[in-house]
Amino acid sequence: MIIVTCDTVPGREIAETFGLVRGNAVRARHIGKDIGALFKNIVGGEIPEYTKLLAEVREQALDRMCAEARARGADAVVCLRFASAEISTGAAEILAYGTAVKLVEHPTR
Amino acid sequence: MNTEKGHPTRDELLAMAYVDGELADQARAELEARLAAEPELGRQIAAYRKLDLLGRAQAPPEPMDHEWRRLARDGVQRAGLGLGWSLVFVAGLGLLGWAVWAVATDPELELTPKLLIGGALLGASLLFLATLRARLRTLPYDPYTEVER
Repeated sequence: MIIVTCDTVPGREIAETFGLVRGNAVRARHIGKDIGALFKNIVGGEIPEYTKLLAEVREQALDRMCAEARARGADAVVCLRFASAEISTGAAEILAYGTAVKLVEHPTR
Repeated sequence: MNTEKGHPTRDELLAMAYVDGELADQARAELEARLAAEPELGRQIAAYRKLDLLGRAQAPPEPMDHEWRRLARDGVQRAGLGLGWSLVFVAGLGLLGWAVWAVATDPELELTPKLLIGGALLGASLLFLATLRARLRTLPYDPYTEVER
């Protein structure tokens, strides 16, 4: 599945549009990691516990969006966007959304 | 996982195709229907998804990564963290036990509030254990725990 942030895919043409597809996920790390992160918050620098948390949520949200696109018969998602919100302290939510499309080779190529 | 000849089994091929989104609608629905009764198949799909994610999220190592790993092996760091966590855990449990004991043996507190406090603590413990059990049961099906950044 091709996923792009722009609204076209070079060399391909959009044959069919299936509309909005989205996937969101909310995850948390266990309290031990939160306590570790609390101390890193005091001394500064990167907090790998939360870097990992956000990466996990991002990938899960992307997978859910792709699953929805596949279920609709799409082979690509264009105009991909991410949005995030804080649901509760220590938990992260990411919403991935875009437009599911079916691509064909560009007729001039 | 593989057959004796080293070739993937039919289920392994199906699981791979499922993860890659290559199954037709009917085949996908049939596979998903089997998941409820075949936990091993679910674990296999989670394992392939984990592999797919690892490839996708592969990032070049940064200098800081090496330092984090070196620190994780460092004796002073390990001893400090181990002792710190042990003290927090043991003292926390001890404090909780002491608070329960103090409430239970307080002669000025009537039986009803004692029972209510005990019930609330027991309920919270049961809720926590049920949540922990659910997490441990679903952990083998969660491929996202391997994603680093």
